[in-house]
Amino acid sequence: MSEAEERTIELLIGPQHPASGHMRLVARVDGDVVVELRPDIGYVHRTVEKLAEVKTYLQVVPLVERPALADTANHNLGYVLAVERLLGVEAPPRAQYLRTVLAEISRIHSHLYGLGILGIMLGSSTAFMWCFNDREPLIDLAQELTGARLTYSYMIPGGVRRDLPPGFAERAEKVFRYLERRLKDYERLYFRNPVVRARTEGVGVLTREDAVRLGVVGPNLRASGVAYDVREADPYEAYPDLDFHVVTREEGDCAARMWVRVDEIRESMRLVREALSKIPDGPILHERFSKAIPPKWREWMEEKRRVKIPAAMVSLRIPPGEALSRVEAARGELTFYLVSDGSPNPYRMRMVTPSFRNVVLFRHLIRDCRVADIPAIYGSLDYFPPEADR
Amino acid sequence: MMVMLDLLLDLLLSPWVFVPLVYPGLVSAFALLLFIIWAERKMAGKVQMRYGPLYVLKPLGGIIQLVVDRIRYLFQEPIVPEEADAAAFVLAPIALFTACLLPVVVIPVGPEFYAFRSDISLLAFLALSSLAPAFTVAVGWASSNKFSLIGGLREGYLALAYEVPLVVSALAGAALYGTMDLVEMAEAQSSVWGVCLNPLAALVFLLLVYMETSRFPFEISEAESEIVMGPFTEYSGILYGLCMGASYVKMYALSLLFTVMFLGAWHPLPPPTGTVLDPILPGAVVFAKALAVMLCGTLLRAVYQRYRIDQALKISWHTLTPLSLASLALSALVGVA
Repeated sequence: MSEAEERTIELLIGPQHPASGHMRLVARVDGDVVVELRPDIGYVHRTVEKLAEVKTYLQVVPLVERPALADTANHNLGYVLAVERLLGVEAPPRAQYLRTVLAEISRIHSHLYGLGILGIMLGSSTAFMWCFNDREPLIDLAQELTGARLTYSYMIPGGVRRDLPPGFAERAEKVFRYLERRLKDYERLYFRNPVVRARTEGVGVLTREDAVRLGVVGPNLRASGVAYDVREADPYEAYPDLDFHVVTREEGDCAARMWVRVDEIRESMRLVREALSKIPDGPILHERFSKAIPPKWREWMEEKRRVKIPAAMVSLRIPPGEALSRVEAARGELTFYLVSDGSPNPYRMRMVTPSFRNVVLFRHLIRDCRVADIPAIYGSLDYFPPEADR
Repeated sequence: MMVMLDLLLDLLLSPWVFVPLVYPGLVSAFALLLFIIWAERKMAGKVQMRYGPLYVLKPLGGIIQLVVDRIRYLFQEPIVPEEADAAAFVLAPIALFTACLLPVVVIPVGPEFYAFRSDISLLAFLALSSLAPAFTVAVGWASSNKFSLIGGLREGYLALAYEVPLVVSALAGAALYGTMDLVEMAEAQSSVWGVCLNPLAALVFLLLVYMETSRFPFEISEAESEIVMGPFTEYSGILYGLCMGASYVKMYALSLLFTVMFLGAWHPLPPPTGTVLDPILPGAVVFAKALAVMLCGTLLRAVYQRYRIDQALKISWHTLTPLSLASLALSALVGVA
């Protein structure tokens, strides 16, 4: 055993550890300094990609939502976009706006989730409880639109399942006013708390060059000063019509990653407000599918303002081909690659999740720092093991 | 028979039995332990938009939740890990709890009510209370667990850093009254409290009360998200109960000392009524003040996050130690005048 090895001890953090999540962190520590940290992922691998090959195209919609429970709408959207590109159809404008609204609501409560986890990892049970509590109004809002709290399965190939309920914009406005008020409380007790500043500022600094070199995505990339956001770089759905600007920070430390999420919550609220004020009238399902619905059901759809899923969609067969879609999920760029061989099931589905692309940061950032910085950096990355493991 | 009972009652009510066993000793420490943890959870719950303990005795807001928890701890199997040093593993928590409670015997809870009186009772308190961290280190070592080891070592580092300014600021309090006898110190505050005479010493001492007893934001040796439960990771059952209670009991002892030294002890005392209340009242005043100090300390959990150990050491050595020395100088000035 070399001298360096004798000085250090190996610390197995997780998978049974209060702050490890569904993964193991193998840390080598010298006194209070972490010399090396290896993330051991895969504890919650659920074969989502392989399962997709034995399910029909519609059955895959709920499947792809499962890995990222806090951010299901964006995963739903990414997959549906890939299917639509294979089919060569595009959702009608109203459906595109509705998708955007739900994607942004989902982003807000996913960011609150991440901020709550950062709070408890820094030791503040109040930050954790507040963030998780204040997800509720947003989840209620999404429930009103979709009928589900988290696993919405709202977006289907060619459109969305339900139309906007009456009075939705006013209730959304109420929720956002509440959240804006709460964010001020958060700033006083959490974001600008001297202890939080001492624990996050200058800790786990990711330089701009490293962020680009390592292929980091999402808020973690933007906190290092790279203004890259799929919503702007490769706009989809209603984003081209909306006045959107990319939130960035220059410092690249834990505090910057936290602030990017906070500012993105504000930006998302603005986007939802704008989308709800601009939303066009019209159908919420593409003609290709709505014309396959019997007239009796079409009347029912008009009356209930929701979609009866046609048989043509349930047993959807897509001509052979391949398609790629990119969306900006809450944790970063999410890519779907879909291959069809003309059968009712996808021939191959590949899903590259933002958490999987960010896992490299554990190794890169948690080095030559203190043991107490492990949870601080982990929390600031908003890393979600099930999403990375799929 | 009656004579026997009278004798027994006399013995029980005599200060050298009553103080260590009933108040402010063992019985009140246990009662307080049950209350303060409930109050902490209830206050945190209020801040965090939830109820906190509720269902055990619902009309009183779940106040006996902790009694139930203690009973569960009592009947839970205390597991001793195979690789642990069994004797130390079992004895160290008991010694830790005892060491945290022991200093209480020095505290006078009334002008005439104390277990013993000495010229150096303050030093006796400080000496007894500084025993506890050694047992925490022993707990961490005996568990044969890496998280426990790190937690124990953290406690060792922190105890060293905290003891120095704590003792210096306590001495500043002693210099203020020109005595180390706690009864004399209390009586010296009949008109003006120590906290008004030397606010700096009081502030430093109060901060260190919270730091020594792992209140937030200095809950570092047990930091859950870093090292699970620190030195107490491997414990279960009543041994865990003792470990968990130790820091609260230590806070109780230190809050009592803070009350006696800086918060005027039993002053202002209402005029004697000639009833049975007279001997109880001073003790009740001391207890109420100490309880207020403890409640402030527990509320911090809902406000603060957790400092890193290097930051806490820096705060202690670089800020609080110079401040405590300054408070000593201030005491010298005020004491002369």
